[in-house]
Amino acid sequence: MSLTIHFTLNGSPVVFEVEPEERLVHTLRERAGLTGTKLGCGIGECGACSVLLDGKLVPSCLVLSAQADGHEVTTIEGLSKNGLSDLQRAFVEEGAVQCGYCTPGMVMAGEAVLRRYQRPTTRQIRAGIAGNLCRCTGYAKIVSAIRKTARRRAHRRSGR
Amino acid sequence: MLNFLRLSSLADVSEMLWADGPVSALIAGGTDLLVRPERLASARILIDISNLTELGGIGVTPDGDLRIGAAVTHQEIADDDTVRRHAHLLAQACAQVGSVQIRNRGTLGGNLANASPAGDSIPALLCLEARVALVARERGRAVPINEFFVGPAKTVMQVDELIESVRIPLRRGRWVSFFEKAGQRKGMCCSKASVAFLAQRHGDRRLTGVRVALGAVAPTAIRVPAAEAALEGQVLTLERARAAAEACREAARAIDDIRSTRDYRREAVSALLLQGLLPLYDRMRALARPRRRSRRRR
Ligand SMILES: Cc1cc2nc3c(=O)[nH]c(=O)nc-3n(C[C@H](O)[C@H](O)[C@H](O)COP(=O)(O)OP(=O)(O)OC[C@H]3O[C@@H](n4cnc5c(N)ncnc54)[C@H](O)[C@@H]3O)c2cc1C
Ligand code: FES
Ligand code: FES
Repeated sequence: MSLTIHFTLNGSPVVFEVEPEERLVHTLRERAGLTGTKLGCGIGECGACSVLLDGKLVPSCLVLSAQADGHEVTTIEGLSKNGLSDLQRAFVEEGAVQCGYCTPGMVMAGEAVLRRYQRPTTRQIRAGIAGNLCRCTGYAKIVSAIRKTARRRAHRRSGR
Repeated sequence: MLNFLRLSSLADVSEMLWADGPVSALIAGGTDLLVRPERLASARILIDISNLTELGGIGVTPDGDLRIGAAVTHQEIADDDTVRRHAHLLAQACAQVGSVQIRNRGTLGGNLANASPAGDSIPALLCLEARVALVARERGRAVPINEFFVGPAKTVMQVDELIESVRIPLRRGRWVSFFEKAGQRKGMCCSKASVAFLAQRHGDRRLTGVRVALGAVAPTAIRVPAAEAALEGQVLTLERARAAAEACREAARAIDDIRSTRDYRREAVSALLLQGLLPLYDRMRALARPRRRSRRRR
């Protein structure tokens, strides 16, 4: 038995027919064609599938698509509608990307930190990405990229 | 064939559970249910309760309890000022559940219904002497948290019952608390051992109403009366902290399992209690010191 669900995806209304046990990560990748969101572990432990649901960072492998009905979903594609976002550019500049598999989830987690704290401490940044595994970079450059973006956004806000 | 239902009122959910309890599964955050294929496979109907307003909200009831709706997430609890004021220990525990992603989905009701011996909210709720408010079609009851769990993954809930909220009696005075856990990785499921601590702090530095509870070291979370007695009514000293830690080690009836060994867990709870008590010891001494110093200066 499939269900019809309506939600807002990266700012636009969408409608999909989904299975009751279908996970949001599957709907995003296979039905919406947004393959930026990655499937890693499928059990909430790696963070590769992270998206924003009503502005909150969630593991899309543990959200039933049916539960997204009526809500608002933002994926990595939604952050980069006009080319790379400032955070993505900082990832590139800092060398925070190697194989890249963790990167979309990492950027989503970093974005969630930056939305929550205007001037995040290193501790807040590290806590904010604790649910995201990276087997390549060693995390230090990811933390620098998020910190750098926080600084740049603070500058922009103060109009300098 | 699986069916997904989103019902708009608690009454409808109760009605549904009454009729189809054995074949239906409630889903809130899904962070437990969706990682257990066997539970999903046995369900024919999934009932989504994550959007029910009756299961949401945090507030103080007219009869003086802090009420936290069953579908409130760990992150909402950790960030809530009312919880931090009246039940800081619970906020401390919820802030250490999984990762941000898990905390944004996982709910308090799900943590209790799941009844894992390692559920992080449970030792905190034991110390806070919470009650679990259950509802069924035509009845409701409040079960003291220490009577709610029967064993690993077993509670006193009937098939047609669900958790409506958690009620925590408000406390007067100044309280100190901490939650310490050991696990494989922050942002990873299941503590190998955890310790929750709560006590009222008095002007003369004595502690009363001391509560110590352990997670993951017995079939259900447990209080440790011997550790509480070692500290009750006393000024915190290193000697007493060590005695309480020893009592925790003794109380841990842990077994070897996939996550850890009995010996590790016994060591861990004793070390975790000390890890929480030592900063408290320093803080309490610091609180006493400035007064003495300023007197000397004058
Ligand atoms: C990667 C990962 C890390 C985790 N880390 C931790 C951790 O550090 N500490 C910890 O304690 N837990 C942890 N968990 C487990 C889980 O996140 C928590 O237990 C969470 O609180 C479960 O809530 P939920 O709403 O997601 O439950 P769900 O999966 O929606 O439900 C779990 C069970 O409870 C039942 N249920 C849910 N709500 C109710 C209700 N109101 N009344 C009756 N029954 C109900 C459901 O039917 C189901 O059987 C982790 C899980 C994952 C995947
Ligand atoms: S794929 Fe969702 S957390 Fe790993
Ligand atoms: S860049 Fe390879 S996993 Fe992070």
